[in-house]
Amino acid sequence: MNEAFEITIRSICISGLATLLSLTASIPLAYYLSKGSKAAKILIPTFEALIGVPTVFIGLLLYMLLSIRGPLGFLRLLYTPYAIIIGESILIFPLITAILYRVMHSTWATYGELAVTLGASDEQALILMIKQALPGIIAAAIMGFSRAIGELGIALLVGGNIRGYTRVLTTAIALEVSKGSFEAALTLGLILIATVLSFSALSRIIERWYGL
Amino acid sequence: MNMKFKTILTIFLIVSLIMVIVLVIGHQNISPEHVKVRIATTTSLYAAGLLDYLASKFREMYGHDAILAFMPLGSGEALRRAENGDACLVLVHAPSLEKEYISKGVLIDGHIFAYNYFVIVGPKEDPAGVSQSGNVLEAFRRIYLAGEVGKAKFISRGDRSGTHIRELMIWNLTGLNPRGKSWYIETGSGIGKTLLVADEFNAYTLSDVGTFLRFKGEGRIPNLVILYTNDSELINIYSVYLVNSCNGIERSIAEDFINFLVNNAQELIAKYGVDKYGQPLFYPAKDRIEELSKLWIKLVNKD
Repeated sequence: MNEAFEITIRSICISGLATLLSLTASIPLAYYLSKGSKAAKILIPTFEALIGVPTVFIGLLLYMLLSIRGPLGFLRLLYTPYAIIIGESILIFPLITAILYRVMHSTWATYGELAVTLGASDEQALILMIKQALPGIIAAAIMGFSRAIGELGIALLVGGNIRGYTRVLTTAIALEVSKGSFEAALTLGLILIATVLSFSALSRIIERWYGL
Repeated sequence: MNMKFKTILTIFLIVSLIMVIVLVIGHQNISPEHVKVRIATTTSLYAAGLLDYLASKFREMYGHDAILAFMPLGSGEALRRAENGDACLVLVHAPSLEKEYISKGVLIDGHIFAYNYFVIVGPKEDPAGVSQSGNVLEAFRRIYLAGEVGKAKFISRGDRSGTHIRELMIWNLTGLNPRGKSWYIETGSGIGKTLLVADEFNAYTLSDVGTFLRFKGEGRIPNLVILYTNDSELINIYSVYLVNSCNGIERSIAEDFINFLVNNAQELIAKYGVDKYGQPLFYPAKDRIEELSKLWIKLVNKD
C-alpha cells in the first residue's frame, strides 16, 4: 500500500508538471491565434485532429530522440521522470491549445479587442485575457492532466517502468495485469480515477470561489 | 477579483514548486551518488518477482547501494534497446536472437543462469490429443490437424518474444505453416494475456511453466492444463549478458551482478516460489551448465 501511495504521488507530480509545461507554451500560442491570426485556420483543425494520436507513437519518437545513440542522447534523459514529463507535455499540447483557443477566441471578442483599442499593451491584454478566461484555462488543464496521467505508451517507452523511479500508475497497472494480479491492478485503476476526479472537483471549487 | 487572481497564481506556483521538489528528492534517492544499472529483462523473470528479490539480496551481499533499474520488456525489444546502448545488462531467453546480437558485437560475457521448461497447455478435454504425443513435433502436428478440421485453436504470442521465437522454431521443424489459418490466433501481447485468451477460447498455447503455474495458482485459467512438456526439446534457457557499450561504474556493478547471478543467487533461484506454488518457478543452471550450453547451441542451430 505504501508503494501504491508513492506511485500515486509520482504520477501526480509527473503529469502535473507536464500539464504546467504544456500550458506555458499553449497559453501564449492560443492568445496569439485567438487575435484572429490566419494560421489558426490551419493550426487549430490540425491540433484537434492530433488529440487522438497514439501515445506509444509519441513514446517511440521520443525514445529514438533520447536514446544514447539518438540525436539528444547526450542529455541523458532516457529512463528519467523528466523524459515522461516532456513526452506527456507534447502529448497534451494539441488538446490544451485547441480548447484554449475556443475559450480565448470568445474572450478576445468580448474584452481583448476593447482593451487594445483603449490602449492596452500586448502583455496587459494577455493578462486580462488570462483573468477572464481562467475557468476555461483550468478546465483545459484538468483535461490535459487527465489525459497525461492516464496514458501508458510514453511512460513505458521513455520511462522504462523502473520501480521507485519511473513507475507510474498506468505502467504499474500494466505490470500487475501481466503478473496476473488483477485485484492489485484494479485497485491502482480506482486510485487513478479517484485522483482525476478529485482534481476536477478541486478545480470546480476554485472556479466557484473565483466567482465565475 | 484582482486579489483572487493573484492568490490563484501564487497557489499554482507553490504547487508546481512542490511537485518539482518531490521529483527532485525522489531523484536524489537514486542519483547522484547512487549509480543506476539499466537492466533490460524478459517479462517472465520480472513479473514472477524473482528479480526484485534477487536485487535486494545482491545489495545486502555486496554492500552496493546502486539501483538495479529493471525494465520488463519482451526479449526482442530488450535486445534492440541494448543495441541502441540503452541498457547495460540484458536477461533474455531467446538463444537464436541472442546469437544474432552476439555476432553483431552488442552482447558480451554471456552466462546461462537459470532454466525452466516451456509447456504446451490447452483445454482439459484435449480435442487434439496432445497429451498422447511422443515428442513436441508430434504435439504441434496434432494441433495443426485438429485445427484444420475445426476442433482446436492455437494462440500465438506473435511478438518476437523468447516464447514466440521458440513456437515459430517448432512450427518450422514440423514443416507446417499455421500462419493465416483461421484457427491460429496471434495476440501480440504478453504471456499473461495470451494464457487468458487461450483460457477464454479453450485453445492451445505455448507458455513458460513459471507463468503458467502462477496464473494457475491464482485461479485465472481454470480451463487450461499442461498437456505436454519435455525436459530437452522444450527447455527454456535464461541467459545474462553484459552490453558491450556499457562503461564506467555502471559496468563494474553490472559485472558484479552477473557474478552474483551465476554464483550466490543459484540457491535463491532454486528456492524461489516453492512455498507458494509447490514447486520452483525457475531452476538454477549451475549444476547442469555443460548440458545447458549444449542445448543452447542446439537451439541456435535449429532456427
